[in-house]
Amino acid sequence: MDRNMKILVVDDFSTMRRIIKNLLKELGFSNIDEADDGVTALPMLQQGQYDFLVTDWNMPGMTGIDLLKAVRTDPALAQLPVLMVTAEAKREQIIMAAQAGVNGYIVKPFNGPTLKEKIEKIFERVQS
Amino acid sequence: MEQNTQNGRIAAAQALLDAARAGDEDAYATALLGLNQDTPLFDEVGRMTREVHEALMAFAEDDRLNHLMQDDMPDARERLRYVITLTDQAANRTLAIVEEAMPVAERLMDRSERLRQELTQIAAKEPENPRLVTVVHTLNSYLDSVLNSGDTLKRHMTEIMMAQEFQDLSGQLLLRVITLLEQLETKMVGLLKVTGARSASQSSTPGASSSASGMHSADELRAGIGPAVPQTAAKDVVKNQDDVDDLLASLGF
Repeated sequence: MDRNMKILVVDDFSTMRRIIKNLLKELGFSNIDEADDGVTALPMLQQGQYDFLVTDWNMPGMTGIDLLKAVRTDPALAQLPVLMVTAEAKREQIIMAAQAGVNGYIVKPFNGPTLKEKIEKIFERVQS
Repeated sequence: MEQNTQNGRIAAAQALLDAARAGDEDAYATALLGLNQDTPLFDEVGRMTREVHEALMAFAEDDRLNHLMQDDMPDARERLRYVITLTDQAANRTLAIVEEAMPVAERLMDRSERLRQELTQIAAKEPENPRLVTVVHTLNSYLDSVLNSGDTLKRHMTEIMMAQEFQDLSGQLLLRVITLLEQLETKMVGLLKVTGARSASQSSTPGASSSASGMHSADELRAGIGPAVPQTAAKDVVKNQDDVDDLLASLGF
């Protein structure tokens, strides 16, 4: 796994963006950008050569699930690994995200080791 | 049956019959009304109608209600928003301090590690000097304890950082209560308008609809329904990350 990969963290709460960013830094990643919803994130993804997307679900403007769908329908972004970190915990929603092509799903509240484990798992699969 | 009532009814029926025979529409209608008025049901409906009317008038003219709509409800929403702002400030302040403290602990650990290596090299050069060897040994065990404490400190700081997650979850829940208040306000204003209230607050735009029943439409699910609250958590909500992993595994993940 490339520790220099470019990561976009999308969440409408600045507290959560900051926490995720700090956890990623502890895991050795430092090339991290932030966006506060899908509307802001999508053009960044389209222009920014990102390697990994970490997104919340429930956000004003464009939700995480809509962002995921937009990413999967954009030929340039379709292969981008996407991890959802969200408080949305209905089984139906997790299935919805899986069907939309999510690579990993973490429910809040979560912790550092869980984030590490899911990221490692995602990149093991992407590379294999 | 009382004689009077019976006589009255016969008279009313007779009046209806007379009016029908005479072809007098007005008299017929009056007589018919007179017959109906006699029934308890008619009385009861009339009384209830009057009560509802009076209640609605009292409702519309109650200044407290207008006050509630114009001041109290928006005020309550503002207060809740302020709670979100305060928790956001507190969480970010804590995170800023953790972000500053973390590198301090790391520097302390780095320098201790380097110092330990240097001292070990110095001691290795003069193995015949017992005092130096003893001092280096003592210093090294102190530096080991610094490294251990540094690790503990970093772990605790990570915990403090993760604890700030409450701000996101509580903020999302409060935003939902704010939306609910907005909807309630809009409905109350509508009711006030129907009953002809003198003035009602300008209704704010209602937020996304959310059903109280716990059932969510696909649209609601897509928009996100917010964190699960322990007391209201339903069976279709996963309880923890293990549940998520199991569910995803069952989908071939």
